[in-house]
Amino acid sequence: MAVSTIYSTQALNSTHFLTSSPSSSSSSKQVFFYRRQTNRRFNTIITCAAQQTVVIGLAADSGCGKSTFMRRLTSVFGGAAEPPKGGNPDSNTLISDMTTVICLDDYHSLDRTGRKEKGVTALDPRANDFDLMYEQVKALKSGIAVEKPIYNHVTGLLDAPELIQPPKILVIEGLHPMFDERVRDLLDFSIYLDISNEVKFAWKIQRDMAERGHSLESIKASIEARKPDFDAFIDPQKQYADAVIEVLPTQLIPDDNEGKVLRVRLIMKEGVKYFSPVYLFDEGSTISWIPCGRKLTCSYPGIKFNYQPDSYFDNEVSVVEMDGQFDRLDELIYVESHLSNLSTKFYGEVTQQMLKHADFPGSNNGTGLFQTIVGLKIRDLYEQLIANKATAPSEAAKA
Amino acid sequence: MATIATSLNIATQRAVITSKRQPARLACPVRLNNPWNLGSRTTNRLVSFRPVKATPEGVISDKVEKSIKDAEETCAGDPVSGECVAAWDEVEELSAAASHARDKKKDSDPLEEYCKDNPETNECRTYDN
Repeated sequence: MAVSTIYSTQALNSTHFLTSSPSSSSSSKQVFFYRRQTNRRFNTIITCAAQQTVVIGLAADSGCGKSTFMRRLTSVFGGAAEPPKGGNPDSNTLISDMTTVICLDDYHSLDRTGRKEKGVTALDPRANDFDLMYEQVKALKSGIAVEKPIYNHVTGLLDAPELIQPPKILVIEGLHPMFDERVRDLLDFSIYLDISNEVKFAWKIQRDMAERGHSLESIKASIEARKPDFDAFIDPQKQYADAVIEVLPTQLIPDDNEGKVLRVRLIMKEGVKYFSPVYLFDEGSTISWIPCGRKLTCSYPGIKFNYQPDSYFDNEVSVVEMDGQFDRLDELIYVESHLSNLSTKFYGEVTQQMLKHADFPGSNNGTGLFQTIVGLKIRDLYEQLIANKATAPSEAAKA
Repeated sequence: MATIATSLNIATQRAVITSKRQPARLACPVRLNNPWNLGSRTTNRLVSFRPVKATPEGVISDKVEKSIKDAEETCAGDPVSGECVAAWDEVEELSAAASHARDKKKDSDPLEEYCKDNPETNECRTYDN
């Protein structure tokens, strides 16, 4: 049964939204927009199916590469993610065709002055409204639009809320996506970026030394001051993550203190629905591999891969590890051709994605590689989930 | 001449509409790109066009500097108090905001930004077919 309705553009720009009851399965509403102004496209068709949004959670400390990961992830699905047009310019939300990225800082219950008064950091659960977070993520997952508050990072105040439409893929990124148990249950897939202290220090130096006012001591003091809260509230989330990307200093260069070459481990939980871990040579075996040799010449310090099954916080996991840097394209494609279960759609997709964003930090080492791979895995998970949901109602109709 | 006249009409109409809707999201170069329209848009309208892009970088840098000084002062007294920790957390937050602003500024093209919001203007017309 198709229902077609014509809305004027004004009505849509206001708080009007279309709800779909979760009980309706196969009916889909198609809305045709006709814009009076000339545009690249004359009409946009938006299907408001009773869709179930796929929710992905990404946890990491500040300055650890969440934004880079988000850009890679949205790029895998196609299109660039941008802040909502015509809204608050300091909004933290990113919207693309398929994905919407919500920054969990928007759910701070205390603004900057409030936190200073109480003497709590943003890492502290007391500064965040988990009830609202749970309600809104649940609503978006069921296909209901929400008015989400905005936390302005520049002024440190909570701005007026913005309307968020339920997307196909919702990514919640921030400090506490897996902290609250109810929110954790809503996540279809969760990722934790675990950066070791030395690497975190090196990255923060890189980021902050350009700022006047910052010195080595102030950066160090800032990290040290946040550490207790971080260890108490943020770090324990990694046991719940389905995939952990751990970044450590390299083992290839003895006494390295530059922090340019990194050792990155992708820890993947076994037994997660719709997620099949990447492996090298054969699943469940242990293998150490140095691709540099006769077929491939690498510059110092080279590349070393490791794959093994392991146990992580009492969970069965598979770990793929890369130590070293990519210098050339053929190193990347050679490595890709030997990794299995990458969920690529064509040969060389990982390489292509990495090259597309060669200017992003981490594009020449394991961080970029594993972030891209996780992005492809999420795409695979999404497609499987959608295919499953499509077959389920037809089966129910048959029965 | 007719086309110029029509574009004039469209431009002024847009100008009227946007001045009613606060905040206006027009980039500064709007008027400069249409020199033949300069006469029609009087300087009175300058007041209503506030260039509302996200806060400029210098403001955030000042805030970072100030917050570091505050944090050092607060922590001079008691290095483990909640206030000290919260102050350094604020430094971290502002540094992150500053770095994001720098990244955004690095790869933003003023023409692309303008065309995203106003694709029908003459500068942004594309002829695909």
